[in-house]
Amino acid sequence: MPTFAIVILVLFSAVLAGIVVVRPAITASRAGKILAFGVLFFLPLFSLVAGMQNEMQRSESTAFCLSCHIMEPYGKSLHIDDPSYLAASHYQNHRVPADETCYTCHTDYAMFGTFEAKLGGLRHLYIYYLGKPPLPQDIKLYKPFNNRECLHCHLGARSFEQGATHNADPATLPAIKANTLSCISSGCHDVVHNVGRWGDKVKFWEGGR
Amino acid sequence: MRPSDPMSRKLRVSGIFVITGLFVEALCLVWSKPIAFVVLVCIGGALIGLGVLFFLYSLVFAAPHPTDPYRAAPDKF
Repeated sequence: MPTFAIVILVLFSAVLAGIVVVRPAITASRAGKILAFGVLFFLPLFSLVAGMQNEMQRSESTAFCLSCHIMEPYGKSLHIDDPSYLAASHYQNHRVPADETCYTCHTDYAMFGTFEAKLGGLRHLYIYYLGKPPLPQDIKLYKPFNNRECLHCHLGARSFEQGATHNADPATLPAIKANTLSCISSGCHDVVHNVGRWGDKVKFWEGGR
Repeated sequence: MRPSDPMSRKLRVSGIFVITGLFVEALCLVWSKPIAFVVLVCIGGALIGLGVLFFLYSLVFAAPHPTDPYRAAPDKF
């Protein structure tokens, strides 16, 4: 349901509840009782659930993640005009949905991945408003990036399974799949966001804005 | 039902909680900041929940209507 439709529903519910508040006598009739049940029980709960669902969906958007000031350089890194930057090449070539870029890579593709991501978001909020937020370049992942998140899309893909580097050593591909050799380990796909280490020569892609 | 009836008062209190919660929710929906979700759940959700619970409470403990056939009959013996 679009946000404006939920806002209209919420305001409509509030107006109806206002009628019951101003004229409680209307609840004496059977129709009035049904109205009271609708506007003081059903509609508020429905509006609340719809609103929460909308907010949960919005929290998955790239714009939502980048609305925190501290995340600005990470948003900027998506526009770096250099294919060796992993996040930028995924974003610019739509290997991940452009409007859910952060969420797609930073959510565990496990049973409670979404739930854990939301809890992590609450932790970020706590640190942002009540704690001492680190500098953007000092932000670290809570735990090492799991290859499972990459393999969710790349497993079975020809470029991954038959890639020259992946097959140069017969032990490499099984090690990647078993998460014993990280995709973003040194010498492989280790340039991800690299915030704070761009230098002066970095160029930015102007498209996709 | 007169405005001074206990039931009317309970409906009003419940309605005021619900309306306040709904306005908080509407504000959060148009406020595109990450904290909006927390405000929506903690303040808006709490107010709406309180209003709904108070409404249910008022129904459960409402005085029976004089013409209600199911109200407790006086003891004849």
